Amino acid sequence: MSPRLIPPACSITPNSITQSSINTGEGPPPGHTTLHTLTSAALLLPSLLLSSTPTHAQYARSSSDSVSFQYSRFEEGKRNLVNAPNNLDPIRVDVLHGSGSFTLTDRLKFSFGYTQDTWSGATPVTTAPLVTNGNRLILENAPGGGVTTVGASPFINTSILLDRNLNPLRSDTATGQQVIDNRSVEILSTASPETRNQADFSLGYEWNEAIVNIGGGFSLEPDFKSSYGNLNGQLDFNQKLTTLKWGVGFTHSDIAAILDHDILPYLTRSVFDSQIERRGGSEILHGTKKDWTFNLGLTQVLNKGALVDANFGFTHSRGFMENPYKAMTVIFIDPETVSPDPNAPLSGVVRALSEQRPDFRNQVAFNSKYVQHISPFNAALHLNYKFSYDDWGVLANSFEADWVQPLGKGWTLTPRIRYYSQSAADFYQPFLFSDQAFSRISVDPAGRQIWVDTNNPNTEFFRDRNANFFDAQGNTVDQALLNIQPKFTSFDQEKLPGNFSSDHRLSSYGTLSGGITINKKFARGFELEGGFEYYTRASVLKLGGRGNSSFADFDFYVWNAALKIYPDKLNFSSSTGQQHDTSHNQSFQHDGHSFHGGHTAAPAGVMYAHMLDKPGDIMVGYRFMYSRQAGDMLHGDRSASDAEIVNQSCSAAIPCRFTPTDMNMKMHMLDIMYAPTSWLNLMVMPQFMDMDMNIRELDGRPPRISGVHEHTGIQGHATGGVGDTIISSLFKLYEAPNHHLHMGLGLSAPTGRVNLDFRRVFQIDGGRVHFDMQLGSGTWDFLPNLTYKGDYKRWSWGAQLSGIKRMERSNTSGYRLGDRFQATTWGGYHLANWLSASVRGIYTAQGAIKGDFNSFNRRVGPMDFSGNSGGQFWDIGLGVNVIVPRGKFAGNSFGFEWLQPLHDDVNGFQLERKGALSATWSYHF
Amino acid sequence: MTKLCTLLLISGLISGLMACTSVAPWERGVLAQPQMALDPNPLQSGLRAHNYPSREAGASTNASGGGGGCGCF
Repeated sequence: MSPRLIPPACSITPNSITQSSINTGEGPPPGHTTLHTLTSAALLLPSLLLSSTPTHAQYARSSSDSVSFQYSRFEEGKRNLVNAPNNLDPIRVDVLHGSGSFTLTDRLKFSFGYTQDTWSGATPVTTAPLVTNGNRLILENAPGGGVTTVGASPFINTSILLDRNLNPLRSDTATGQQVIDNRSVEILSTASPETRNQADFSLGYEWNEAIVNIGGGFSLEPDFKSSYGNLNGQLDFNQKLTTLKWGVGFTHSDIAAILDHDILPYLTRSVFDSQIERRGGSEILHGTKKDWTFNLGLTQVLNKGALVDANFGFTHSRGFMENPYKAMTVIFIDPETVSPDPNAPLSGVVRALSEQRPDFRNQVAFNSKYVQHISPFNAALHLNYKFSYDDWGVLANSFEADWVQPLGKGWTLTPRIRYYSQSAADFYQPFLFSDQAFSRISVDPAGRQIWVDTNNPNTEFFRDRNANFFDAQGNTVDQALLNIQPKFTSFDQEKLPGNFSSDHRLSSYGTLSGGITINKKFARGFELEGGFEYYTRASVLKLGGRGNSSFADFDFYVWNAALKIYPDKLNFSSSTGQQHDTSHNQSFQHDGHSFHGGHTAAPAGVMYAHMLDKPGDIMVGYRFMYSRQAGDMLHGDRSASDAEIVNQSCSAAIPCRFTPTDMNMKMHMLDIMYAPTSWLNLMVMPQFMDMDMNIRELDGRPPRISGVHEHTGIQGHATGGVGDTIISSLFKLYEAPNHHLHMGLGLSAPTGRVNLDFRRVFQIDGGRVHFDMQLGSGTWDFLPNLTYKGDYKRWSWGAQLSGIKRMERSNTSGYRLGDRFQATTWGGYHLANWLSASVRGIYTAQGAIKGDFNSFNRRVGPMDFSGNSGGQFWDIGLGVNVIVPRGKFAGNSFGFEWLQPLHDDVNGFQLERKGALSATWSYHF
Repeated sequence: MTKLCTLLLISGLISGLMACTSVAPWERGVLAQPQMALDPNPLQSGLRAHNYPSREAGASTNASGGGGGCGCF
């Protein structure tokens, strides 16, 4: 809530109004007299009357300053492949979201958001009749002899038999008869992990009765980049009982879809030839898309306990709207092959064609919401209805109901239910039939077969009765000098529908979902939130009748956990709040005047260096680390040549073929710290990782084996998701005016995955991703550390010893990372009471990986061999720390440190380190 | 045409409600409670605004646009 609404002299805010209202609803809290309540109410009234009356919409927006972190996991159930076992990991998305919202001045507000999601898993590429066996069984030799089916992989190019009514036929195993089988199935393909980053911002200006926001952002994926901007606002009138809302937005997206070796063999993409760039054995499909959005809405307060909200939206989109990885199964029936016998089956040639959607779309949507206070429970019922329609023919309805139930003591429980139904797009078909040959031998108007020279395909030849070739002029040619092949004519695109897609999201179906959200607000101005939702999609759930796609039914669940911090809620509200405020100021002063407190902030790259003093203190921090490796491959402490890498860095049996050119690692860590006593601090630090690597082919590598696919490295590869979670404790050992010593004992829980795989390509398993790109250690690790810090006047210094001891022999993937020891020492100088600079030296000894992957890994380069890990490393760190001493953002501290490698002495062969950045933010309650 | 009528009807209804509504500022305590916020859990709705469109073809009334990425899975 903007401070302008409440006179500063009166330390009551809408937050306290809220608090007071809740208390009134629940009866006076213990110790409160009626007189007290009346006095509070009397105090409240003038502030409401004196200030501009807040509108509902203003209350409704979370308008106090806030910082939030959220993690969510989306995971689908396995899809039903009917006649093939589905051993593919279903789609899974890990999302990390951070956002902040701050009032810069009384009327100016800035917000930003950052989202990173990593997804992987199996996704449908097309739909086909079951008899095509598009999910081709993968067979493996069983350990005890014989063959077992271990899974399925997409394989679409085939042929099937159909009856005269185009019903697919299956040969009955018992009788050998052809029987009708009308079942359809989705053909699945897996994807290697892929990460998307999105950043957005918004700047808002508030007048007494209006708000205008301008915002923008971008979303980056390797194959899809979009940037967007928007302008929106609202206007209050009718004594602020009515709010008019409006918005316009524009999005520009660039698509560069990499059609790799897994999709190229089966995908017929001739229609997009002009948009395809060929590079390094892969094809890149380019496209652009533009979206314009408009909306208009109205919020109306109906009475003391009810309001209604209605919004109308219009979206116009233009450009490439296909999903470049989705295909339409087309069954070609060549009329020339149809037998005159009416009982003979038809033969259909099955091919997958790139889907083709219209290149424009207009969508309208109407959304209405009714919110009713339910007095007996002090709860609120939210009812939502949405209708949308577009010129693709998709008509959708959704109904939602949420019951928001405050439970007292800051707890709120919100169960919800939602029903959604849509009709199919006009051009949706599970698969298509086409009354023509997919490809046939070309003949000229005179009925002569046409031949061409493959080196010069525009020159046509014919053959006489003696099998001698002659050209169009009738001159006999010497076929020994040419490479003459029959000419084929492809199907006629004009005979296919103009648009077609088998994407199940454009079919008709209904969905039902339900979930629950739990919130707990703490008096100190922070809040924990957790949510869960289960969603099921079923063709039969379609409104008013059956949908047409039961083969695509699936379900998913989403759960999430969030931490929200409201810095400005510390300064007011209840009496407990006042106490916290005081303690906060004291602790801040302690930090702020820390030239002589023993608590100068350590450089940003040093973990476990800060201890909270006061029992009950809480600190929330965020740590970002980025490190980069690039340049030379090192062997020991010198650069290695390609010949050395090929011959020495893999194994005698398998020489190296590829080597990394660069690798980036990013880590986001949330740092939550609590002091139960003055000598003990407890910490929880969840981590979120993402890595990417590019590789190149080594000079002098062993030759390629014909027909065996190899990684070209054109698109690099990436992994990401939840990393390991650190749980730690810090014990104060010695404390004097200028000296401080503490010890940390911690555990790292193996919450990061160590079984990430590359996708299957060419029916060959991708195998485990390199050791360094798995997300955690996979083992329970012991993390001891010892930190000394001292200071005198403007100077500060410190030293830390820390280690990682792996406590298990191996992780579930069969290996264990090496142990680590690190020693560091630093000196710092306070340039001002809010700014300090530091220099630090670091020595790290890291052991090599023990053991090896216990499942298939492709072993293409040094990064796949455990001996090429660990070593001794020397770095210098340059850092700055900033503590906000006063004002609105007092209590926030920021740290940045750049680590520059000085010397590497690596085990085996490893990529040179280029440096690392640490950035921290922490907030002390 | 039916849709337009519905829309007009709803607009008319709202205008009617506006005219007869009168809630004094000191009567707005309940409306100010967090459970009465139009969006009581913005983080949850943000997440849903990302998940539903990746699985459904229905349009949205949100003009802020952008983001969400390809949703190619």
